[in-house]
Amino acid sequence: MASQEHAEPVGLVRFHRDLRLATVARDLWRARALVRALTERDFRARYKQAVLGAAWSVITPILMMVVFTLVFAKSQGTSTGGAPYPLFSYLGLIPWTFFSTSVSQGSSSLISNQSLMNKIYCPREVFPLARVGLAATDMAISIGVLLVLFGVFRYPPRGTAYWVVPLLLIQFVFAAAVGMLMASLAVYFRDLLSVLPIILQVGLFATPVAYGLSTFIPARWQGLYVAVNPLGAVIDGYRRSLLLGEYPRLGLTLVGAAGAVGYLMVGYLIFKRLETGFADIA
Amino acid sequence: MPTSPDGSIVLDGIWKRFRADRRRPLLMEEIDRLSRALRRQERLVRWRWVLRDIGAHIVPGEAVGLMGTNGSGKSTLLKILNQTMFPYAGRVGVHGRVGALIEVTAGIHPILSGRENVYLYGSLLGLSRADVTARFDDIVEFAELSGAIDRQVKFYSSGMQMRLGFSVAAFLEPDILLVDEVLAVGDSVFQQKCLGRMREVLQQGTTLILVSHDLISLESVIRRGIWLRDGAVAVDGPARAVLGEYRAYLEGSTGRQVAQGPVRIDEATIRAADHGGREAALGGGELVSVPADEPVTITLVLASDRRERVEVQLGISEGSNSTIFTVRQTLDLPLGKSLLTCGFDGLPLARGRYSVWAGVYAGDGKPLAGWQPVTAFEVTGAELPPAPMAVIRLAPLVLPARWELL
Repeated sequence: MASQEHAEPVGLVRFHRDLRLATVARDLWRARALVRALTERDFRARYKQAVLGAAWSVITPILMMVVFTLVFAKSQGTSTGGAPYPLFSYLGLIPWTFFSTSVSQGSSSLISNQSLMNKIYCPREVFPLARVGLAATDMAISIGVLLVLFGVFRYPPRGTAYWVVPLLLIQFVFAAAVGMLMASLAVYFRDLLSVLPIILQVGLFATPVAYGLSTFIPARWQGLYVAVNPLGAVIDGYRRSLLLGEYPRLGLTLVGAAGAVGYLMVGYLIFKRLETGFADIA
Repeated sequence: MPTSPDGSIVLDGIWKRFRADRRRPLLMEEIDRLSRALRRQERLVRWRWVLRDIGAHIVPGEAVGLMGTNGSGKSTLLKILNQTMFPYAGRVGVHGRVGALIEVTAGIHPILSGRENVYLYGSLLGLSRADVTARFDDIVEFAELSGAIDRQVKFYSSGMQMRLGFSVAAFLEPDILLVDEVLAVGDSVFQQKCLGRMREVLQQGTTLILVSHDLISLESVIRRGIWLRDGAVAVDGPARAVLGEYRAYLEGSTGRQVAQGPVRIDEATIRAADHGGREAALGGGELVSVPADEPVTITLVLASDRRERVEVQLGISEGSNSTIFTVRQTLDLPLGKSLLTCGFDGLPLARGRYSVWAGVYAGDGKPLAGWQPVTAFEVTGAELPPAPMAVIRLAPLVLPARWELL
């Protein structure tokens, strides 16, 4: 209809949302039950039609660890500092799998929930965050497997194990940031969904999962590396604190944390900026 | 900003636009578009305004109906009220908890059981787990699903799925309820239950925004109407007045289809006995006024190219589609023109605008002149008395009644 095609009328008062940090955080806090519900839905729905059901969530990480050990144990180019290689690699595999699940599942979270998103009001972040929650559920099960492995190899975690708490935080922030970023971009560029699996595949080898950080990156480049890929600092920290009884390297951890926070700020800003158009495009 | 009570809605200068040029985001097409824009053959981005300067203040407890033809912006406005879509310009103040009955099956996951879905959908709508547990039995009973609640939803019939979605939403107790065409849920028994539930919700002082093309149900629930036309508010006022104008508009834009049968209805007039001379001619002229409950005559001028025994059907509708009643007469139609009159002692209709429809059919029911609106008129007299909230009346009849308190 011709009457609908207008140039912009003058003197419009543009619509603005309240994007102060306090408001956004409050809305998100109120939606925490929703994140839980969506996580639970995806978790239940995933194995509902499989014969073995939820047992898969235990079988998958064990199989992954076995495959990893078989493939990489031979290529002992890396020094584990005396720890059994399966434990060493599993400690890299857990955070990596968490990250890659968060990102790949998160990237499609807005698209696959678009019918919901267009009917029910909620902070949009809940959809990628629920996928991070799904990855965290998987990780919790993997950690159970890890505890069994500590027993199997008679190699108990060291006294410095409490350091995993801040490291976990960095890991969550980084995964949530990239998940949200990818989710919002994928609404506009669906091509991303095809490219991401390849990028994540490369990422597996560009992250010290099968190897130690030091075998992987020369010492003087490690700072720059963990700023770009905070997982490097996280994995190195896990291995030091759990297997070797050392403290995570402070400088490296701080740089990794700063990197993760940087990702979060950029990811969240882009997410909020693109958010107003989700319902128009999807 | 002054604080507004829960349940109130303030819309100020709402503008919303969509891209008018985007078809597919293919790289080749984007490059093509860019190059044409560079050569100044086309603007880079073209916009289509779907909402233009919408303003409305709705007080708590008000029941408002949004009406308008397809593409007039109703659903977009509803999405903005629901805060799932953001306007380009303007101010939106939606105060209190919002519940939306918009495609109620959207939140339902087919692989999960009915029970799991009740909890999931409840939390999607903002209920806590304890809230859902407290209402669980009521919800299941309302949805009539007690026997199937542990079955996977994908094995439900589509009616059962809708009942499930609606029932969860129905127990939400929001401050503002947005409803988009969900009165068409389930069979008529369930529809009655839904209306009953809506009645209860309204009595609790919930603000209701209802979008529907079913003007009769709309009329039964709303007190205020907002008619959107091409994205702007055309009329905003008391329900029956707005509905009347909207019906008149629909009637005008429907257009009379020219019947090309063996029988033509050349002319139709309606006149009240005491108002000789003031007639409505076919297809135009001033709208004729007919007082309710006075004798009325409808005259049809028929032209036939055959001599045949026919059945003439005549009907009165409110607006362009809800027929109130029909009458019929079998007669021998002569060749050429003939004049047929049909008299009523009175039409017990409420004040408003009505249409006369006519059709001529052969003995076997085949149309000789198809069912068509032939003239329109206006009834003067009593307003339709308001019915209890959410009670659907099929026709706007005003019947004389004798009351006695014994």
